Amino acid sequence: MSNETATRRPVVRSGVASFFVPGLGQFLLGERYRGVGILLGFLVILATVIWYGKPLWYASPILIWLWNVWDAISLAGGRARSILLPLFFGLAAAYGIGWQVVEIDFSKANMDRALAILRPMTRPDFIQPRREVNQMWVPVQVPCSSQPPAARREDAGRVATVIPDCGGVGETLIVNVTGMWANAETSIFWQNPIGNPLMLGEGEISMLTLTTDENGSLTTTIRVPSTALVAAPDPTLPQFHRVYFEQYRPAGGYELSFIGGEVLKGALATISMALMATGLAMLFAVPLSFLAARNLMSGNPVTYAVYVIVRTLLNILRSIESLIIAIIFVVIVGLGPFAGMLALALHSVAALGKLYSEVIEGIDPGPIEAIRATGANWLQVVRYAVIPQIIPPFTAFTIYRWDINVRSATVIGLVGGGGIGFLLIELIRVNNMRGVSAVFIAIAVIVIVLDYVSAKLRERLV
Amino acid sequence: MLKIQNLSKTYPNGTQALKNVSFDVKDGEFLVVIGLSGSGKSTLLRCINRLIEPTEGKIFWDDVDITAAPPAELRRIRRKIGMVFQQFNLVKRSSVMTNVLSGRLGYVNPWTSLLGIWAQEDKQRALQALDRVGIADKAYSRADALSGGQQQRVGIARALMQDPKLILADEPVASLDPVLSHSILQYLEGLNKEGITVICSLHFLDLVHRYATRVVALKDGVKVFEGSAKEIDRAKFKEIYGEEAQEVRAASL
Repeated sequence: MSNETATRRPVVRSGVASFFVPGLGQFLLGERYRGVGILLGFLVILATVIWYGKPLWYASPILIWLWNVWDAISLAGGRARSILLPLFFGLAAAYGIGWQVVEIDFSKANMDRALAILRPMTRPDFIQPRREVNQMWVPVQVPCSSQPPAARREDAGRVATVIPDCGGVGETLIVNVTGMWANAETSIFWQNPIGNPLMLGEGEISMLTLTTDENGSLTTTIRVPSTALVAAPDPTLPQFHRVYFEQYRPAGGYELSFIGGEVLKGALATISMALMATGLAMLFAVPLSFLAARNLMSGNPVTYAVYVIVRTLLNILRSIESLIIAIIFVVIVGLGPFAGMLALALHSVAALGKLYSEVIEGIDPGPIEAIRATGANWLQVVRYAVIPQIIPPFTAFTIYRWDINVRSATVIGLVGGGGIGFLLIELIRVNNMRGVSAVFIAIAVIVIVLDYVSAKLRERLV
Repeated sequence: MLKIQNLSKTYPNGTQALKNVSFDVKDGEFLVVIGLSGSGKSTLLRCINRLIEPTEGKIFWDDVDITAAPPAELRRIRRKIGMVFQQFNLVKRSSVMTNVLSGRLGYVNPWTSLLGIWAQEDKQRALQALDRVGIADKAYSRADALSGGQQQRVGIARALMQDPKLILADEPVASLDPVLSHSILQYLEGLNKEGITVICSLHFLDLVHRYATRVVALKDGVKVFEGSAKEIDRAKFKEIYGEEAQEVRAASL
């Protein structure tokens, strides 16, 4: 009897203790870490579930709580329960809530939209077949004045006429052109006095395209576009608009497309941006690195204080992503590569300053004492013992930084820092996926080539 | 004549490397300094050309007080004192030629030397110095492309460029194998025979016996022995190096 109560009492006591405070039973049985661990784990899971607020997940702390009571009772009987079970309950809740917070939803994957974007990307807009253009135009007065001049123009054997000589918005005109290429597709569009093209096709949203006859002539009717006078300062003032006729034919070979040219310009801007930034950063980083070198600055308390301050500043500066610095510089100096260059330079000063100072800290003191022993003065010691040791690693780190800066420069363009990244975001905005694809390829080529070149150069230096 | 009087050196961290060391070195001697690692040999040698500033004591060289020399005069004194190091202390990325020429820095116009311009005469002298140590063909190699023995010979050639009256050699053969040790010490011996005083720290007793004209022994920064090499027998050796010491013979390695 006494034997039975002796075993039962701790069983009941620890079960009840853990029922009210998870882990308390285990704690009282001498398993202190286990008890505290259970309590903390339970509270963390409980707090998470309460914060998330979805009732389903309350199952997890409840199951852990039940396990805890069971464990306390078993422990009183001398047997601990595996910790894997509550761990599983906790992780299940954590991953389950994580899944919902991240809003994972594979049904959102829209393959049609993905293909609509990916399909044009298989044809990067970089080069295009070379083609010849045959362009002709004729002036038309809109709206009519009292004495409109003849809407007729001759040029290089081609004649274009509009009947009547003038018109108001929405009025029908007969246009005729002769002397163009025969049997060729011809685009006809309107151009307002400030040079904006307006379409003449169905609903004014498509290009009016016709084919010339065997003599190179065509005749059609058009309506003066409804938006012809939108840009006019005074819609009652007669002004000359133009009707354009344009024909294209292949001229053999390929040429750089307009986007292709922009990609090249952007690539050049990006590489130059990185180059300028690295150069500028180097100018500041070299003197700063000497101040940030422990072996040079730990001599007395003043220089050591300078060392600590410079080091701290460099560390703070280095911890700010150049993308964020770029946003600030875009505000200060406006959009464009200059802002990006400044941001990269500022970040690089910190990065190079640290790398350089580590080079200085790592130089071999042996040659310094050897050169001092020859009777050389301070400058000669620097020239013959210090500089030969630091120039190659400084150069290697600078090239490496340039390499990194080119990559960063592409990203910095996205926030308005100019270069190829800026072009990329513009093309994404107008949904020009062929252009986007050309930019992607250009970035990849730049990065791969530069990576290779910089690795080879550094190999020679180190 | 070099007179070292009551020389002491205490480092900022409190280590007393030298305690009241005094001895004289006559012109033309090959003085060997022996003692355990950390006994103050390197500090002693570096105090002579003041690469390390002594805390107390004086060093007179031909009656000029080196310890009191102002910077410009110190540089003039240093250029007459060649120095050879255990780790050779060459600028590894520079050419052998540049390393050797740098021995001439105390003599040339400082401004042209900063531009790396050297007189034809100095280049000729450098080639002769390299020829003397037998590696003239390596003149335009990078210093770190040479073997240890060759690098130490570059170190000697650099010291030769100083036209030295005194050579300080800080364990010049401790990083080399025994065969090379003899070849390096023979160069120093040759220079010594031409009248250059040599102060050299060494570890191996048989090298001491072979090359030293006189020996100074240091133990914990204190001079414990001064006399001829012959006087150092086994018992004396144990006294200097401690009871645990086992003599290692360079030739038997």
